[in-house]
Amino acid sequence: MTTAPLEVEQPEVDEVVGTDRPWLVIVWNDPVNLMSYVVYVFQKLFGYSREKATRLMLQVHHEGKAAVSEGTREKAESDVARLHAHGLWATMEHPS
Amino acid sequence: MSVQFERRGEGVLVTLDANEVELLRAVPSELKTLLAGPSEKDDPVYNRLFPSAYLDPTEESAEREWQELVHPELLRERLAALETVTSSLDRAGTKRGRAEVELAPEEVDAWLHVLNDARLALGTRLGITEEPEAAEIDPSDPDAAAHAMYNWLTWLENDLVETLLG
Repeated sequence: MTTAPLEVEQPEVDEVVGTDRPWLVIVWNDPVNLMSYVVYVFQKLFGYSREKATRLMLQVHHEGKAAVSEGTREKAESDVARLHAHGLWATMEHPS
Repeated sequence: MSVQFERRGEGVLVTLDANEVELLRAVPSELKTLLAGPSEKDDPVYNRLFPSAYLDPTEESAEREWQELVHPELLRERLAALETVTSSLDRAGTKRGRAEVELAPEEVDAWLHVLNDARLALGTRLGITEEPEAAEIDPSDPDAAAHAMYNWLTWLENDLVETLLG
């Protein structure tokens, strides 16, 4: 059973105006991807430690989603594409 | 016996039975058919393999541009991974009655991608949930073979990932 997406605390972002706010890359929980595989992909794509990758995977699993990276629109589009290439369900959003 | 993965430097040695080689061979050809294009508009399996980047409907034009840029590349990578898996199975030798093949790091990547894509496709079609799969598959279920295949691929992928994570 896929847990329903919950409100997720977003990474703290400096108070900046307009277009300077970073885009967030969100990975959503899904019933197929293996927990071990998701950890492996976070480590491989973002160079995260095993601990950080595991923490993000568990956040996705328990809370329904997690912000896994952030940056410019271009960076977020590229990260989403790499996550899709690995079969993860990722989207990007600009917090308002 | 069943499939075994062992670290060999940066690569992985795979040992498997002849019937398992045949099961695995069928995977790239089925995925290739699927990747040729969605069978219907809003095909859930195709949409699962190629999701949207933007949920925000006001980003519709950014989504379209992103799809035009990224989709051909994602498709090309997925098709290349299928070829890589097939050619690695082609070169498997036999040792003590079992098939054996040493995978280079980029081949290991291709195996992971193909196993995962196959599970995404099958899992979406079968409506897999996070509830554990029934220990016994109902043989009268018309999807019994597909469920067995899904469970086998899950076990295989998990074993390969655990081998890589070490």
